[in-house]
Amino acid sequence: MADERSIESILVADCGTVTTKLLLLERVAREYRFVAQAQALTTIGDPWHDVSVGVAHAIENLEQITGRTLYANGKLLTPRDEKGGVDAFVVILSAPKPLRIVLAGLVREMSLKSARKALVSTYTRTEAILSREGSLRSPEEAWARTVRDLAPDIVFLVGGVDGGASRPVMELADAIALGTSMLEADHRPRLVYAGNAQLRSRITKLLGEITQVDVVDNVRPTVDTEYLGPAQELLEQIFVEERLQQTPGIETLISWSQLPPQPTATAFGRVVEYLWHRERNPDRGVLGVDLGTASTTVAACFEGRLYLSVQEQHGVAYGPLAWVEKHGVASLLRWLPEDLEEDQVMEFLYNREFHPWTVPQEPEELWIEHAIMREMLRGTLRAAYPTWDMGKAAPNQRAMLPRLDPLLISGCGLVHMPRPGQALLAVLDGLEPVGISTVLLDSNWAAPALGAIASIKPLAAASALESGTLAPLGTVISLVGKARPGDTVLRMKITYEDESVLNVEARYGELEIWPLLPGQSATLELKPQHRFDVGLGGFGKGGKIQALGGLVGLVVDARGRPLTLPKDPERRRKRLRRWIWDVGG
Amino acid sequence: MFLPYSIVNPLMHIEVVRSLSLPGQIVVHEGEVVEPLQIVAEMTEPPVFQIINVARELGISPKKAARYLTVKVGATLSKGDVMASRGGWGGRVCQAPFKGTVTGYGRGRFLFEAQSRRVQLKALVPGRVARVWPDEQLVIQTQGAFIQGAWGNGKENYGVVQLVVRSARHALRAKRLDASVQGAIVVGGTCLDEEALEQALVMRVGGIIVGGVPVNLLPRLREVDFPVLATEGVGKIPMSTAVFKLLRSLAGREAAVSGRSRTGREVKRPYIVIPIPSDTGARAHPETPLEVGSRVRALRQPYLGMSGTVVSLPQGPVALKTGARLPGAEVDLDGEMVFLPFANLEMLL
Repeated sequence: MADERSIESILVADCGTVTTKLLLLERVAREYRFVAQAQALTTIGDPWHDVSVGVAHAIENLEQITGRTLYANGKLLTPRDEKGGVDAFVVILSAPKPLRIVLAGLVREMSLKSARKALVSTYTRTEAILSREGSLRSPEEAWARTVRDLAPDIVFLVGGVDGGASRPVMELADAIALGTSMLEADHRPRLVYAGNAQLRSRITKLLGEITQVDVVDNVRPTVDTEYLGPAQELLEQIFVEERLQQTPGIETLISWSQLPPQPTATAFGRVVEYLWHRERNPDRGVLGVDLGTASTTVAACFEGRLYLSVQEQHGVAYGPLAWVEKHGVASLLRWLPEDLEEDQVMEFLYNREFHPWTVPQEPEELWIEHAIMREMLRGTLRAAYPTWDMGKAAPNQRAMLPRLDPLLISGCGLVHMPRPGQALLAVLDGLEPVGISTVLLDSNWAAPALGAIASIKPLAAASALESGTLAPLGTVISLVGKARPGDTVLRMKITYEDESVLNVEARYGELEIWPLLPGQSATLELKPQHRFDVGLGGFGKGGKIQALGGLVGLVVDARGRPLTLPKDPERRRKRLRRWIWDVGG
Repeated sequence: MFLPYSIVNPLMHIEVVRSLSLPGQIVVHEGEVVEPLQIVAEMTEPPVFQIINVARELGISPKKAARYLTVKVGATLSKGDVMASRGGWGGRVCQAPFKGTVTGYGRGRFLFEAQSRRVQLKALVPGRVARVWPDEQLVIQTQGAFIQGAWGNGKENYGVVQLVVRSARHALRAKRLDASVQGAIVVGGTCLDEEALEQALVMRVGGIIVGGVPVNLLPRLREVDFPVLATEGVGKIPMSTAVFKLLRSLAGREAAVSGRSRTGREVKRPYIVIPIPSDTGARAHPETPLEVGSRVRALRQPYLGMSGTVVSLPQGPVALKTGARLPGAEVDLDGEMVFLPFANLEMLL
């Protein structure tokens, strides 16, 4: 890799579950700019079993797009020379399998809750929870059998505040030891202990001879405190060691980059963190959502602190079947603007799993994908929300989203929408933001890549972010309150940069859009009705703000929070059709 | 440009991987010629076990339990055999709950395991063992036709291919399943219904291959003991012409059907192997570039499952019904010229 000061071109490979994306960034004059993007199928599985093959395919596509030579003799040309190439190469991955976890702990609402928060911070899938809560006896056989039959990657054992409960924790440890010892040595799970600190030596003594034991600080050292950092760091480290660095073909990519591979979610989180630090507004958080094929990442930043939540089985292709098994197919049907049969939707979900890289060709399939996105966003947000300490940005009302600005949306699910308004509508319905937010669309799938670039050249990542790599969809004003459909809930004066003025009103139940093009801004004078909150200090409080334009424009979501859909199916479908129409069809 | 692919090939070099789900023994060696029903690997299923709390059963402390034991670790017991007893007034006994072996003792508790079941893995396809990974898996090489499917019910079998429909667009009907289909791999067209499935069970077919399987029948299909393979997916989907024609041309030959499939990060596709004695089959090349004349299959509605040939590769993106503008190919799908985005196409190798 070239010296950091001399890095003028950077190539990032983002190896996703299905698609490998390449992003080329270059210095143009004093700024770093997004130059080109290319993609190819990820080749981690059959028949290749070599992730570098997919990267090579994508490089070939990038060479065709840019007309430059980047690859020769089976190698990426780096550092750049007279023949071509790039100065630096970084690789990020979400393609490897998540870590399979068996979680063991005592109290569902305490240590287990904290442990789950730690687990979602990286790519993990919790396959079973061992807890005796609710029963008098410890079902040791069942616990041991679970460990033996699942043979997870990690058993994550928590429980007991420091100096607190010991016997129930040791009962769990005994059963884990039994289940682990019944497995062949190379199939035994690693034990991560993050419980009562006083038991560390006993746990290590009991399990240390059977398997590898990692001890970290208690995730719940006292009843009222939670301490997740060390456990989260260890889990990410294990993911990097046991998954990223074991990915078939990764050694080829590492030899090109000389930088360790990074998890995509971590890189995405770095961009969200940067966006918060750009404004440093403690009254607002920044939210990023990366809706992928197999998982969805929610990255939220409040008061400079990042909260990362990776939800496996919440992707647009690998996730919906498990979702409908749990929540019923009605959870998807309610979002459809047309009357489709349950079986039709289920058939679609199965076939989507067989061909996860495909795109809808028929409007009916587009609506089903829309419905999936809304539910995956809702599910992921529901899991991420309890992990946030929102500080001053905390909402006035429980279960509402805090004030978030900007909102960054990324991932194949959203970016593939035929029209930008459709992506925006999925986000408004799925996340239900409140107050005033700028919505940024990661249309070039650049956000995780920029996060990766920040690890070698922060200036380049910041410069690319500022130079329009993210496409603004517009400014959204989401009102909180209830009224009768059709009632005027907001009066707004829009003063454009050319001094022209537009006086408009928003009616309850509607999505209203006014023109405000990308690159333009306008001054808005907001006067909400007394029972409505636009995020300017409470109900009925208005004020002047600056709004940025975007691909959709200036959007007022006057449908109220929480968003409720009519119960009558025909009325509901009519309403959904109307909203789709409002955002541009 | 490289697209995803499916193999629908009349004669090729085939490598079938046979894997155990848990470590076991591979009982054949490299170079050995195997037959479809030959056992090639074995493993022992994890035993059922129980922790028997002797101390609690005898009403004593764990420390004292050791002195009352009547069996040692390693003892094989029948159901009801005494494992520990405490005599005297109010005495108690601790008995074996099933036939098994004592495999451990500690802190007043026995670990007692039932005898494990042996699981055997058949070759499924005739051929030569090319590679062996001890304890795990082996590769069998053969020559013949190979077809990758979309969905399978997890079962496997070997039998004679028998067509029971006139075209790929006809559904598999119960009335077409008579005594002649016993043990046969029955090829339907579009789909099958519950009546046809029940009739197939009565007639003891060896397997079913159809274009699509109805979503409401999936749980039932997973229960039956013969393989069911859908070549295109879930729903009422006509079998791809390319697949149907190939199966029709090979009717009467023996075929191996594996319905083992998985989606997600570790994709496993169901497949059909029809061995043909030959030395001329070439390997399929997944990196075959798309060009005019390439055989392709559509992966999304309204053309899902239809196969055809690329007739042109238009420059630049083309608008779809959804409003999306995407690059793609013009394809002759059984005589119908349609534009399909690259994202919704796969190569047929």
